[in-house]
Amino acid sequence: MDTPKPSSPLVNEHHCNNLRHKGMYVMSVPDPDEFKFYDRYDATAYWCTCTQKALGPDGLSVHPTTCKPGGQRGCCE
Amino acid sequence: MDSRAPGPGAGRRAPENAHDRIPDPGSRSPQVAEVQAPARPPQHPKYPWPEKPRLIGTRISRLDGPLKVSGRAKYSYDIARPGMLYGRILRSPHAHARLKSIDAAAAEKAPGVKALLITIKPGDKILYPGEEIGALAAATEQQAADALRLIKLEWDVLPALATVEQAMRPEAPQVFTPANTRRGTAQEDGDLAAGFTAAAHIVEGTYSTQVQTHTSLETHGSVCEWNGDNLTAWVSTQAVHGTREGFAAGLKIPQANVRVITEFMGGGFGSKFGPDIQGLLCARVAKAANAPVKMMLDRKEEHLVTGNRPSAFARVRAGVAADGKLTAFDAQTWGTGGAGAGSDYPLPYIYTFPNRRRTHTDVYINAGQQRAMRAPGHPQGCFVTEVLMDELADRIRMDPMEFRIRNLPAPGPNAMWAKYFPMGAERINWKSRHVTGDPAPGPIKRGLGCSANRWGGAGQGARAHCEITADGSVVMRCGTQDIGTGNRTIMAMVVAETLGLEVSQVTIEIGDSNHPFAPGSGGSTTAAAVMPAMRVTAGKARDALFERMAPQLGVPIEQISIGVGTVVVSPSTRDSLPDGPAAARSGQPPASRSISWRDACRLLGTVPVSVDGQWERGLSAGGTSGVQFAEVEVDIETGITKVKKIVCVQDCGLIVDLKTAETQCYGGIISGLNYAVFEERILDRNTANMVNPNMEWYHMAGPSDIPEIDVVLVDQPERGVIGIGEPPAVATAAAVANAIRNATGVTLRSIPITPDKLLAELQRAGGTN
Repeated sequence: MDTPKPSSPLVNEHHCNNLRHKGMYVMSVPDPDEFKFYDRYDATAYWCTCTQKALGPDGLSVHPTTCKPGGQRGCCE
Repeated sequence: MDSRAPGPGAGRRAPENAHDRIPDPGSRSPQVAEVQAPARPPQHPKYPWPEKPRLIGTRISRLDGPLKVSGRAKYSYDIARPGMLYGRILRSPHAHARLKSIDAAAAEKAPGVKALLITIKPGDKILYPGEEIGALAAATEQQAADALRLIKLEWDVLPALATVEQAMRPEAPQVFTPANTRRGTAQEDGDLAAGFTAAAHIVEGTYSTQVQTHTSLETHGSVCEWNGDNLTAWVSTQAVHGTREGFAAGLKIPQANVRVITEFMGGGFGSKFGPDIQGLLCARVAKAANAPVKMMLDRKEEHLVTGNRPSAFARVRAGVAADGKLTAFDAQTWGTGGAGAGSDYPLPYIYTFPNRRRTHTDVYINAGQQRAMRAPGHPQGCFVTEVLMDELADRIRMDPMEFRIRNLPAPGPNAMWAKYFPMGAERINWKSRHVTGDPAPGPIKRGLGCSANRWGGAGQGARAHCEITADGSVVMRCGTQDIGTGNRTIMAMVVAETLGLEVSQVTIEIGDSNHPFAPGSGGSTTAAAVMPAMRVTAGKARDALFERMAPQLGVPIEQISIGVGTVVVSPSTRDSLPDGPAAARSGQPPASRSISWRDACRLLGTVPVSVDGQWERGLSAGGTSGVQFAEVEVDIETGITKVKKIVCVQDCGLIVDLKTAETQCYGGIISGLNYAVFEERILDRNTANMVNPNMEWYHMAGPSDIPEIDVVLVDQPERGVIGIGEPPAVATAAAVANAIRNATGVTLRSIPITPDKLLAELQRAGGTN
């Protein structure tokens, strides 16, 4: 039997290993109808396992667009 | 009175033998027929929901209610371990400062202190009040607090940003890198210019919502105890497995070395999904002290650092055609999630603006960071849109409810507002609503308002283990947690339903990461993730019991079924034929015989039934809709609003426990009431320190503030289980705001609607009417 994975339209496996958000612990099933009722948005609270805060070890915001290994942030894994 | 209303598929539960009796699509109402996946009915599960349930859908009180009201339920806050120390965290008194020096020598030598950790060094910056500097553990709470005061800190205090206005000023100091703001969502659809050209009326305004803190009654925190390299942590968390992972990641130890226990939990509302800093500090000082440590936060710490709902601002321009159809929506939005955190939200919400544009900006200030909070983003988007809708309805002189129905998206089981609005209107006596501004004489003005909400609530992935022993005991273990919603109770209902027992005959063991994996409780997904696992696992246990019984009874397994408190052995088809052997012996068709549950289980001997199961498709779904109506009285001399009544019409798929589902609505509505007229994090504009970090000046509804709440739950059994934790919290504030507008005739585009705001607006408008 297949094992469902946490789903998130915003974060994929290419983000830093230390990035976390609620959707990584809550295994919701996306509703394809959702965006008939409003446009896409991102209300997600991100945090870093190193700092446990919304700011990474480098003092910058934790966000999937910047928390990527090989990117400009030296703290990413 | 039974608050449950039949849904579009009432009486059409997914049948036991769904593969034999697939519901005829042609028998559905037109609304159901338009449903898109995954709102579709279940897909032939092996253990479908019963067609005629005995317990599911009834009103069953919480199994742990007596434990809670008698104080016997042990929350993380109540855990006491032998030799346990008490931990406290050293926090920044400033919103923005650089540490010059720190001297903890006196604290280390203070009476009772067993361990002390400092986590920042001179030269490091802190970015919000309450940010962590270190922690210590001492023999008593008082010794821990005394020792903290002995730590000498020297700071360079830096300019702080206390408001979004301060942060967005061109001359604002750059506190955050690369900037104090971050460009967020940018969307455009349709032809905005054409939309405004088609508009007969245009409304322009700026709307805002405040920062709201979670204010869970049980604060964040844990008790951590090491046994060698193995950590046991009793944590107030919404995710025992997620917190195990968080401890392992934060402490760089294997997850196999961590056990997280949350037997009872006093609320989280989205703010408790990991160990947090305080959990890791607790584990570290416990390790250093070689003793268990309790580190639970106090109320001030809760307000400062454990999350909040971001503020929201929206500068909106919207148009409506003469026929009442929305034509255009243009908005610039912003808000703050604190230091480095986002603030986005859905806008416009639910109603169809064919031509629209929106840009959002996250604004960072020197304040504690946001976290997920009960329907993240939705109350903000709902408030802005729904107040705007009332203003637009007035422009075209249309009833606000009719105006909403005219502009709804296409209906479906996950979009039932067009049906629910009239249902709610009936119960609030909408036909008694006057036009905006109560014309009645005197200072007390009455008004009605309405609004709509939606949510997902589809979960998956839960696993469970079930044992049935020879004495008839049934134990179901699952690594989920009951965060106060009644999860433990509805789990027992499903297991008892499946095995023909009463809920009191089922033992539910949850809140332990040593149990089979279950996801965290967030996004209203728990019921939809866990109830299918209960149904499947109990069903497999039942089948395993039958397999063990069949050879001992000398009958095929197909002849064994579940009764009420019994196992029923039916006659074989051959026996029941008029010319069958049994009939030939007695002259009568053989009857079924019932074996008591205990006698049936006795056949198990010394080896129990022991089976694993997990969530399977076809028993749960996602996508809920609801509406709320509010009735208020406003004293225009004092500015005080009294919410008299809230009507809530809400669906959540298959209702498992009518009582706990209703209480979810009560809790959500009270949360929304607080959002409408009471709660607000207030920061000093000069220091960015919170001036009301307590439960005295951070206002919340008391018992006398809570209105009559009339909940109508719409049953949609054919959809399977859907969560209900968040949707009822979304629409209340907007309905209350619109009712206040209807009462007073003035438009408050900012919540909370406090007496000072209302009086100022009334004065600006020259009074009511």
